[in-house]
Amino acid sequence: MSNVMDRVNSTLGDRYADMNRLQFGLLAVALIALIIAPVWGGSYLRVLALGNIFAIFAMGWDIQSGYTGYISFGHAVLSGAAAYTSALILTHIAPDISVWAILPVAVLMSVIVGLLLAVPTLRLRGPYFSLITLVAGLLFYRGTRTASQYTGGEQGLLVGRLTFDPVLRFYITLVPMLLIAAALLYLSRSNIGTILIAIRENEAAVESAGIDATKFKIWSFVLSSIPMGIGGFLFAHFDGTVNPTDVVLIDRSVEMIAMAVMGGMGSILGPIAGAFLFVGLRDGILPAFLSGTERWLALWVVVLFVIVFARDGLFRKLWHRLGDDTEGDSE
Amino acid sequence: MIEGFLSLVVTGALISAVYALIAIGFTMIFGVGGILNLAHGALIMIGAYAYLVVTSTSTFAAVSVPPILGLVVAVVAAAAASLILYKGLVQYIEEDVIITFLATVVVAVIAAEIMTLAFSPNPRSLTPVVPGSISLPAVGLRIRFIEIAGFAISWVVIGALWYYVTRTDAGRSILATSMTRRGAKLTGVNISSVSTQTWLIAGGLAGLAGVFLGTLQETAPLMWLDPLALAFIIVVIGGIGSIKGSLVAAYLIGFLETFTVGVLGPEFRGVFSLVVVAAVILVRPEGLYGREFIDE
Repeated sequence: MSNVMDRVNSTLGDRYADMNRLQFGLLAVALIALIIAPVWGGSYLRVLALGNIFAIFAMGWDIQSGYTGYISFGHAVLSGAAAYTSALILTHIAPDISVWAILPVAVLMSVIVGLLLAVPTLRLRGPYFSLITLVAGLLFYRGTRTASQYTGGEQGLLVGRLTFDPVLRFYITLVPMLLIAAALLYLSRSNIGTILIAIRENEAAVESAGIDATKFKIWSFVLSSIPMGIGGFLFAHFDGTVNPTDVVLIDRSVEMIAMAVMGGMGSILGPIAGAFLFVGLRDGILPAFLSGTERWLALWVVVLFVIVFARDGLFRKLWHRLGDDTEGDSE
Repeated sequence: MIEGFLSLVVTGALISAVYALIAIGFTMIFGVGGILNLAHGALIMIGAYAYLVVTSTSTFAAVSVPPILGLVVAVVAAAAASLILYKGLVQYIEEDVIITFLATVVVAVIAAEIMTLAFSPNPRSLTPVVPGSISLPAVGLRIRFIEIAGFAISWVVIGALWYYVTRTDAGRSILATSMTRRGAKLTGVNISSVSTQTWLIAGGLAGLAGVFLGTLQETAPLMWLDPLALAFIIVVIGGIGSIKGSLVAAYLIGFLETFTVGVLGPEFRGVFSLVVVAAVILVRPEGLYGREFIDE
């Protein structure tokens, strides 16, 4: 066990503090618990599978907004672009095509939409980027109603599920989530991640070091669009319907932000934890006590409290607490 | 054709006046504190619902005041909500721009859920402040009195605000703070009282706009979103922090939207505004009357 830990530390930890036993144990237990979830999950397996998808969204938001500090209020546009691409192809163009064949197209569309938003706005500092993403979300939402003869309007489109086997469905969401987490963790701990953080902390300094900050901001958006596209595709085929309320409403974008911030933005691991916490509350725990609007209200109040009183995120707090406990041990 | 044009001009002017109220409050808060208050749309919504509660018997059968008093209640309610938002939340987190951004948008979502809970998600219609309408068949025009009232009140309020911030010491301290916070502090401006005033004014303007917007369009829990996006667009075009810029850009966007909807149809609402914003961002990022961002 400690052998594995040392190897993980030596691959990841040259710039960051090494994990100690407690931190490594936490990750290992969480990972094993997820992998064997069908054994213990029972009726919560659906919630856990949704947690996987939203973890992808939260990480996708984090690598762009959390790392560079350019807050996007329209990340649901990216996942929505992939979801609607998939749905429109299946409904209008090629109903008989294998669903998986659409995945690359859906992801590509998400990247294209992302670049359309990012290229004009990320050259500038200030709130312009947030504005454009917010308005893009509104336009997309309105567009799904305007083009209702293609999109099915409020009802949306029926696209079919990837599988009806709940265990298989869980793994179809878990594997991409873990792969994306590994890729983004690697990137965020590489030079790219360091530059993105530097942009957040002091963009002028990055520029004066001779680094083109705009280029890296746009790259972070591409890095973000790819997971958003994959997540959007998985989400579209999770329950088999693509409708504006579940896919592109502004609340979905705010949810992604809330997950990332609750876990601790700018850390990749934090948003995963935040996503499971948020989805767990939303679909697992709160529905037992509250219904409909009351449930949302309670959820948002919890989010507000976390944002205000634990602005670095709950998972990050836990992580550093574990790190402090055995400071001598980790050396 | 010419009649249609005329009616679009009139409608555009009237709705622009309401947009100006929204954008000026939004930009003042940014100017003074560097805060983008994403709960601004929620204040508009609070104004509209406050008006609904006191003027219609549907919520409390015993409460039904004349519309003009309802307007006052809406302004006071939104101003109070704005101040509570600042004193209770924003002033503790304002040094962290990102957290303020996120917290205010969550506040807006919470406000929308509360309204859904209290008034159902269905749109409600408000009793017009001034009922009735005037028809000018000669030019094919029909104007509702509420639109005229909104236009007139908007100009009176903006005029009063202009007088306040340029001619009185209390108002000029707001202007000074938005120019340079440190300079204002050094010349003895009480920053805390300036912030309080600004949030009260912005809330009041939002409440006022909410009543007119809620009457002309609809009063619904999702009504915080479109005005917020509009305020954002207008403020970027006019120049962030500039009251004059907001006023000019409000009319620009108001006319643009009215003509787009009138000529091309409602599904194009917002598209051209986005094009204009993109053009402004690319060509003149500081906006029409804005200053460059100064690093604090």
